[in-house]
Amino acid sequence: MSTPTQTDRKQRTGTARVRDVFNDYLPYWFVAPMVLVMVMITFFPGAYDLYLSVIAEPTLNVFEAEFVGLSNYQTAFTRGGALHSFVITVTVVVSALALESVLGFSLAALVTGVESSRLKSFYRVLFIIPMAVAPVSLATIGRIMLNTEIGVVPYLINTATPFAAPAFLSEIPLLTVILLDTWNWTPFMFIIFYAGLSSVPDTLVEASRVDGAPLWRRYVHVIIPYMKPVVFVATLIRMIDLFRTFGVVYGLTNGGPGTATQLVSINIYEQMFINNSPGVATAIAVVYLVFVIAIANIVIAKVGFEGVWD
Amino acid sequence: MATSDVEPGSSQRLDKDTQETLVTVARHAVLLGWSVVVLFPLYWLASMSLKPPGQANSLPPDWVFLPTVYNYIQLAQNGEFVAAFANSVVMVGASVVLVLLIGVPAAYVLSRYDIPMERDVLVWILSSRMLPPIAVVIPFFVIFQQLNLFDTRIGMVLMYVSINLSLVVWVMKAFFDGIPETLEEAARVDGATQFQGFMKVVLPAAKPGIFSVAIISFIFAWIELLFGLVLTSFNAVPVTLFVYSFIGSRSIEWSMLAAASTAMIVPVVVFLIAVNKYLAAGLSFGVVIKE
Repeated sequence: MSTPTQTDRKQRTGTARVRDVFNDYLPYWFVAPMVLVMVMITFFPGAYDLYLSVIAEPTLNVFEAEFVGLSNYQTAFTRGGALHSFVITVTVVVSALALESVLGFSLAALVTGVESSRLKSFYRVLFIIPMAVAPVSLATIGRIMLNTEIGVVPYLINTATPFAAPAFLSEIPLLTVILLDTWNWTPFMFIIFYAGLSSVPDTLVEASRVDGAPLWRRYVHVIIPYMKPVVFVATLIRMIDLFRTFGVVYGLTNGGPGTATQLVSINIYEQMFINNSPGVATAIAVVYLVFVIAIANIVIAKVGFEGVWD
Repeated sequence: MATSDVEPGSSQRLDKDTQETLVTVARHAVLLGWSVVVLFPLYWLASMSLKPPGQANSLPPDWVFLPTVYNYIQLAQNGEFVAAFANSVVMVGASVVLVLLIGVPAAYVLSRYDIPMERDVLVWILSSRMLPPIAVVIPFFVIFQQLNLFDTRIGMVLMYVSINLSLVVWVMKAFFDGIPETLEEAARVDGATQFQGFMKVVLPAAKPGIFSVAIISFIFAWIELLFGLVLTSFNAVPVTLFVYSFIGSRSIEWSMLAAASTAMIVPVVVFLIAVNKYLAAGLSFGVVIKE
């Protein structure tokens, strides 16, 4: 079949011509909706947050807006508790990320070593289940099981161990949040690391074994470097998602007691919808946006996507 | 038996064997320990949902009890719960269809054509995931009220699309990269247009990717609380917000709460198990493909 020429096309009917236009510009039709949505969700919110953060009262009419400079930012960092919530957020992100990476990797390595393939897939399927629990359901579980009076966990600690159970939600709320998130999302690290470990060729493992290197050295010097792209991407995505944490804390402690678990996202929510100060809320939001994107880009620049794409 | 490092035959070998047995025992002890950690909270939640309300919180716990579906019947008769659950199914389901329609063709183009600054484009797409939802939701809260999208299912569908689009594009690009271009070329030689080649040759070959990314998108939207909290009030309330409002109520009905949470978790567990082989590919944004 020969390709249609210009003259062929002119003689075609209307629908055929539409079809030609569709086919000729196919890649553009294919990406256009995605680009449109992406522009809407990446540029618009940041720009609008920035606008709201420098005006006194929210208004869509730029000419009516009363610009107040950086005063909302000043309020955010003096009375707004912005700095405190950043410290809390970074604490949660760093600790949960460390715990989930180490636990996820260890479990993946242990399951990889299981000899029976049936048991292997049993563990693999079982260990991903906590991911099915929505943050708000996790908060429910935490409230039910950790409750000082009716919770089964304090009960078991008090009766079966010589220790007295701490009041999880009032004495150690931050640790409780971190541990609950670890329970919830270690599966994410586990399943990606497991896949990464299965892609390490046996010959590489054997070779390192012959050297007589101790186990941890084999992992640190041979296996982990081999699966570096996998480790990088899993950590990056989990980190990004940890900065999005909201539901579990909102449902479990609502940021409290006091401001003990007040993540940035909780702080912004309260400034916006409880204190009714959109200026302060969006000022913190702008700082948070810049902060998260900067950290993610530093990580990407430092480690890079080498090996992720060939 | 796993390979051993020393020559067989000596008394050392016996030591090696005992050592390996010990390692195996320790391995399974740790794995079983973690299994208990994984299962106990879920068991507790499910068992609580099957206890009559008066028995739900008795301590010491009633390990043996007569299960009842009383709480689930109560739940099924609760109009708000049924509406919220149906809302979630419809809104999340529609968002998955829409995000696939937008994301899959775009991923195909990113995979097959020379895009200028392709890496930067991909990082830009990923950056939509870096934006904390709370920073995104405030502008949309203002705009949705202007556009009459506040408390509508359509508005929620759009928000759910926004959280999953980057995932779909990345994962599907990786899957398309793994499908040899010769497949489409063969179809085009047979007279198919590029669009037909995409629909009839490439898409079927990418089915596992589409399947896994659809389910993972479903899960990420299904568990989302913040958008429902800010952008809905009555008509478009998702099931997560219903569960939250349950927690917030003064006298918590624990067994009902447990039943509502269990009802939310069970379908997702089924999905996760169904897709478990491709889960790593999907969750790692397509970086890990094979398993």
